[in-house]
Amino acid sequence: MTAMNRLEDLRYTMESCNHCGQCKWVAGPRTTGWRFAEICPIHMRHHFDAYSGQGLLNIARELLDGELSYEPGLVDLIYSCTMCGACDTACKSIRDMEVLDTIAALRAHCVDAGHGPPAPLTRAADAIATHGNVFGRPRAERDGWRHTPAREEGGSGPIPEPSSSSEIAYFAGCAACYLQTGIARDSARILAAGGWDVQILGSDEECCGRLLWQTGQWQAAEQQIERNLAIFRRRGIKTLVTSCAECFGAFRGIYPRFAAVEVEVLHISEVIARMLREGALRFDREVDLHVTYHDPCLLGRQSEPYVPWQGEIKSFGLHEPPKTWRRGHDGVYDAPREVLRAIPGVTVTEMARHEENALCCGAGGGVAAANPVLARWTANERLDEAEATGAAAIVSCCPQCRGNFTAALPRRDRALDVFDLTNLAARAL
Amino acid sequence: MALAPEIYREFEAIVGPAYISDREYILAALRQPQPHSPFKPVSPVAVLLPETTEQVQAIVRVCNRHGLRYIATVSSLISFAYPNGPNTIILHLKRMNRIVEINERDRYAVIESGVRHGQLRTELMRYGLSYPVASVGPGGSVLANFACSSGDNHVEYGTSRSNRYLAGIEWVTPTGEILRLGSLATHAGWFNADGPGPSLRGLIKGFAGQWGGLGVVTRIAIGLDAWKGPPEMPTEGRSPRYRMRLPADCHKVLIFKFPTLDQVHDAMQAIGRTEIGFSVMKYFNASAALLATESANEFWELWNSGLFQRELARPLFVYLSTWSAEELAYEERVLHDIIAETGGEPVADEVLDIYRENMDFFVLVGFLQRVLRLGGAWAPTKLGGDSVSHMFEVAKAIPEFFDGFIARGQVLDAPDNFMITPAEYGHQAHIELLYLWDRNQPDWAEVGLQVMRASLENDLEHHHHGSSPPRAKAMLERLGPRYSNCHVWIERLKAAFDPNDVSNPMP
Repeated sequence: MTAMNRLEDLRYTMESCNHCGQCKWVAGPRTTGWRFAEICPIHMRHHFDAYSGQGLLNIARELLDGELSYEPGLVDLIYSCTMCGACDTACKSIRDMEVLDTIAALRAHCVDAGHGPPAPLTRAADAIATHGNVFGRPRAERDGWRHTPAREEGGSGPIPEPSSSSEIAYFAGCAACYLQTGIARDSARILAAGGWDVQILGSDEECCGRLLWQTGQWQAAEQQIERNLAIFRRRGIKTLVTSCAECFGAFRGIYPRFAAVEVEVLHISEVIARMLREGALRFDREVDLHVTYHDPCLLGRQSEPYVPWQGEIKSFGLHEPPKTWRRGHDGVYDAPREVLRAIPGVTVTEMARHEENALCCGAGGGVAAANPVLARWTANERLDEAEATGAAAIVSCCPQCRGNFTAALPRRDRALDVFDLTNLAARAL
Repeated sequence: MALAPEIYREFEAIVGPAYISDREYILAALRQPQPHSPFKPVSPVAVLLPETTEQVQAIVRVCNRHGLRYIATVSSLISFAYPNGPNTIILHLKRMNRIVEINERDRYAVIESGVRHGQLRTELMRYGLSYPVASVGPGGSVLANFACSSGDNHVEYGTSRSNRYLAGIEWVTPTGEILRLGSLATHAGWFNADGPGPSLRGLIKGFAGQWGGLGVVTRIAIGLDAWKGPPEMPTEGRSPRYRMRLPADCHKVLIFKFPTLDQVHDAMQAIGRTEIGFSVMKYFNASAALLATESANEFWELWNSGLFQRELARPLFVYLSTWSAEELAYEERVLHDIIAETGGEPVADEVLDIYRENMDFFVLVGFLQRVLRLGGAWAPTKLGGDSVSHMFEVAKAIPEFFDGFIARGQVLDAPDNFMITPAEYGHQAHIELLYLWDRNQPDWAEVGLQVMRASLENDLEHHHHGSSPPRAKAMLERLGPRYSNCHVWIERLKAAFDPNDVSNPMP
């Protein structure tokens, strides 16, 4: 670890919280009314302050100081957080505090003390260690998506042969490789249509490690990150394109905590937007659809590059040396919207909570595996908001979001369609 | 000390198992020391999340039966939302969060305890209605500000303190009776907190805030004003760089600086006499620098430049909000005449632009909590109310007790970091001195209280109404004789209404 990431390093944050409650609410200037004003999924669900950024800071402080014991229920609470970072961005609109880093460090503290993570997440870590993917599927099937048409939306066209020598690589991520292969297939088609010759990592591609870091399994995360960076070096990769928001956010925001990242990392939405601006790609086919766009947490507010900081917090909060803060301002918000608006026939209506104030889909932070009921509950909250826009479909840029929304749909009266951005972009080619 | 199982079951039967907890890890979020204090609050024995007034009533009755103390709270920003003694439960009123009614014709809104400023203010804008948002940030409870505190705000010159907007109260008394006050008591509707019917709104609030307050207020009605802005927040940008510009033909911010406090006073009074303007304030300068910057480091860069000390030592912030461009032009002409006559001049554009670009300062003050950024050790003192002239007399005496703390390096060197806001066009005013101190100093734990005590003694020496009666018994007894022996009355009222001493106990 190259930066101050351990719980004991984050005491300033824990001691600075004034209980103002901003971590639970959409930023005031972006509030639109009574409904859709809250921002923290677990606080919306449980209402107790303990279920919030503020509460987790308080719990972290008491655990660190030995004032709280691991009584039954505590670890479940800590792992109910989706690590969406809404509390962090909201807090950082007004304060110099690292709320999300503290929650991550709290989980690592639990793991170090032998009290975490919940069993489904240790199984996921075992699967990553053994098979290189979070699902425990065979490594050899990692690029099966190239050869087999997807069962779900997307990927119906032919897949171009990958390059073996390009310095640009497409990184599909576990979910698009094994579960939502249409996203990987559509991404490959779009990249080829825009003239980008990319290499596919095939069985060399492994889990990005995001889940390991978010669930406090930092030793495993560090090993996974080192393995991936070694693969990138060995294959001469200079630019990495991914269609997965979580992989993207991991490369930008998690990897630099452990090692220097020497590859340029781009999300496919940024690449498509660039291709459109440069005239390398055109959408010729109309897609008649009214959509709303859901900002994935790790593509939006959590995608600002992490810059390691080591220093001293002096009198009156002065950070020496100055610290580069990640406040959620410069996430990837514009590119996906630019792409959607460029598709003929697509109209976009924003949800009340959008961009840095977007509500999480509910799947992040290991919650989809450890607490699927909560994950679906949060997805339903978000789908309610999507429906309130009058849109017929919700579009995201993350297989996890799409998977969680899709899983929540069967119990709803009205069926919204759920798309990944690449699905609609490929339809328009 | 744990809650007895049989009492837990009584509470559980009232609110349901999902809305009560005595788990230590749940209570951990309700017993943390505030950054300005080294003292850890006593842990509550349980937290309950009632959903209705009847549930609150039932809980209060159980508390009386078993001698359990209770504190009702919503956002819990302030330290008196936490227990100060054993055997206390927290009533978290967050689930009571309905906007019951918005009456456009008679211009009032009925709300429950858990409705936040960010929610109500933006909801009302759609109806062309508004109210003065207390300077607490968008997550603060509207009801708490209106019913349980003075609710000072940035636009009280053109409106008033928010507690003056109360138009009806539903109250669970300390012993568990439900009373509906004012016009509501005679089934005449929510329009007047003073009658026809009994008026007890001052008693509920107490002048000592929640500790002197009694029972639980579950619903209130507030009067509403017309909103001269658009139906939605015209916000641009992303966090933390939000910008909010209101239509330039009817909304304008101007800031002037004066050589002396007397001239600020004269200008403030003259503006009030003409009844132009919507907001008029002598605002804080260090707090303004905190609000204008995104990090502590940025604050220090700005503060060390001396710009805000030069431009905003004795400023007058004026916000004009009108129905027409002609009206705005008229008010601006009048204002400039007054400023010329009283010897003021515009502040530098680089300062003015901050407020021109972000008029949220006069709407929701969505970034107010930035004043807490410098490590969090801060406190307000004074907080009193009286005439405009009297508030300036109080301000002029601040250096007598405050300069020593600055000279000793105990507080931030910001002697002008005080605010004077006239209310109701200058018929009354409010003063507030915000001071920040450094938690890295060895004596930091004492500084907050030392400044407050010195401030109080300074008021006593000069016979000033600068400090409002404080929320600590010993200090209340010191100041009470200057406020019609309010300390005696508070104790008598408390004994009469709360014979078991279970409601919002004082330390």
